[in-house]
Amino acid sequence: MANRVESLSASEGRSNVLEAKARRSVRLPWALFIMYAILFIGLILAMLPFFWMLSASLMTYGETATRKLWPAVPQFSNYAEAWRQADFSKYFWNSVVITSITMLGQLTTSILAGYSFARIRFFGRDAIFALMLSTIMVPAVVTMIPNFQLISGRIAFIPLPGGSWLNTLQGITVPYMVSVFSIFLLRQFFAQVPWELWDAARIDGAGHLRFLGRIVLPISKAPILTVLIFGFIASWNDFLWPLLITTKDTWRPLMVGLWTLQSEAGPETQLIMAASVITIIPVLILYFMTQKEFTEGIATSGLKG
Amino acid sequence: MAVSSPPASSSRRKGPRWIDVQEQLTGFLFVLPALILVSLFGLFPIGYAFYMSLRRWRVVDRGFIGFANYDKAIGDWLGLALFIGGFAVWLAAYFIWARFFEHRSGRNLPTVALWIGSFLIGAALVGMGWGRMVYAGDDDFLNSLPITLFYAVGSVPIQLALALVLAYILFQQIKGREFFRMAYFLPYVTPVIATALVFRVIFSPRPTSIANRFLELFGIAPQKWLFEPTPVLHLITGNDAIQGFWAGPSLALVSIIFFGIWTYVGYNTVIFLAGLGNIPDTLYEAAEIDGATDWELFRHITVPLLSPVTFYLSLIGFIGTFKAFNHIYVMQQPSALGTVETASVAIFNTFYKASQFGYATAQAMLLFGIILFLTFVQNQIFGKRVFYG
Repeated sequence: MANRVESLSASEGRSNVLEAKARRSVRLPWALFIMYAILFIGLILAMLPFFWMLSASLMTYGETATRKLWPAVPQFSNYAEAWRQADFSKYFWNSVVITSITMLGQLTTSILAGYSFARIRFFGRDAIFALMLSTIMVPAVVTMIPNFQLISGRIAFIPLPGGSWLNTLQGITVPYMVSVFSIFLLRQFFAQVPWELWDAARIDGAGHLRFLGRIVLPISKAPILTVLIFGFIASWNDFLWPLLITTKDTWRPLMVGLWTLQSEAGPETQLIMAASVITIIPVLILYFMTQKEFTEGIATSGLKG
Repeated sequence: MAVSSPPASSSRRKGPRWIDVQEQLTGFLFVLPALILVSLFGLFPIGYAFYMSLRRWRVVDRGFIGFANYDKAIGDWLGLALFIGGFAVWLAAYFIWARFFEHRSGRNLPTVALWIGSFLIGAALVGMGWGRMVYAGDDDFLNSLPITLFYAVGSVPIQLALALVLAYILFQQIKGREFFRMAYFLPYVTPVIATALVFRVIFSPRPTSIANRFLELFGIAPQKWLFEPTPVLHLITGNDAIQGFWAGPSLALVSIIFFGIWTYVGYNTVIFLAGLGNIPDTLYEAAEIDGATDWELFRHITVPLLSPVTFYLSLIGFIGTFKAFNHIYVMQQPSALGTVETASVAIFNTFYKASQFGYATAQAMLLFGIILFLTFVQNQIFGKRVFYG
């Protein structure tokens, strides 16, 4: 049994999808040259906006309107100025709280549902799963308006505890505490856990919850990490929903704060760029730390989805 | 210790034969939290949106008005019928082409005439129907549909083509593949609000903006980019003889298309790479022994075997452009005169700026219908041409 666990956790790296070795070496030197040329042009185009964001964030107000590609003296004070002017101390903290709570909720519902869909047979299971998957097709503009009514507490037959949830933490987080995509991803993985493990756990008197907590979760670190990263990025980058339901800044997140800054700072490009750099830093750190799991997750789920 | 007999585990896989109440209950309870949330925020809103769309509802509900909201958006139901009829004829024209042209025997004068005829009739019906709708309906909403179409047609195919090239190169023995892949993928994960704000700076009308300096290299005068409502066709030809739909997207919309391409090429590349990894090596080896060139390998093995991935990406891409909101909302400028207002943005404005809740949901339901229809058509036409190995 120990062997099975090990082999499964070895396969959790799933490095096969993208690390599949290159087909063969390129025979013609000029073909190789063209390929590298294309790759580098692509690289420059992909990176240019990031470079410009960084460069403009360090310029003086005067320099942003000139032909300079890099400031004469980097103005690191722009960051402090943007942070202060946009009230980022508040928004940054709000975003951290919102993202953490959303992820916690999403992880709980996804693990339970993913496990149940993969390993427990109950009446109506496949129908419920199909119903959930079908919601992926629905555009956000359709659900946005009824959800706004719902969260405002204006739908009489769905009363919310405390009346309206506008401007509240629960209003921003609860609708995102489920992710059909995460459920789908975890279900795929949980289905591969060997049934012998479950048989053994049952003989030892464990139920589903204990089996899930003691055996399945410890060997599912990779897919859970994938789900966490996706959840983090989606929640951190979310804009439309918090824009709709926050009229005060009590729980307004960073992205809405950035948007407010740009309408207030007007032409001061260097401040807007500095604020933009601040908002993307957490995502960049997370991405560089986990980029392998992340692209793997996209590739596997994308192909099977 | 865990030597379970194969029959036991295989019966487990099929599930218990007897009804185990506790098992049933556990399974359902595990799903319940997710099910409640999906029902409340994903399923219920569809029904409720339809309910709202049938009512006069401006912040406050003022009662049932039937299909008056749809009436206002579409304007002319006969126009809509003609429009849909035109599409049906086009679909028929497509099937004539698919059925007969692939067999040599079908390439005779009557079928060609039938095909050309049905294509032209379809075009006439679509044009007439659309004309009637625009004449009587809501311009803001109706005009947002061709704009969305421009956005989709302008971004998805280019995105896919570039991604295929990059993925193909990255699949060869190239140094630093992981580095390139990571860099290309970066735009996709970065917060859209931040990157859209940078694009506003890059495509600003200032003569010193990056986009204008790039044009300067070729001796082209500075452009107004995101502020420019004039169609690109007019700017290039210097001639505004063609007006309306056939004049194509405005320069402002093209700037937004650049943003769309920049964001999604990396995502598509990663998925294509995974798809390339799934093509068995033996096929290439066999073809190489038969003396196939690189181009022939690409054309006759890579492209057909990659078609499921291409199909999936184009479907996701097209649906995505119809849902696109955040970056367009951030990059739109008043002086672009609504030429970048795609369907999602138009609906949002009806809801958020004009506070016409009932009318906005009617528009949203129409958009939903269009997305479902496009998915269906895409499945009918391309789904059958996909080669699943």
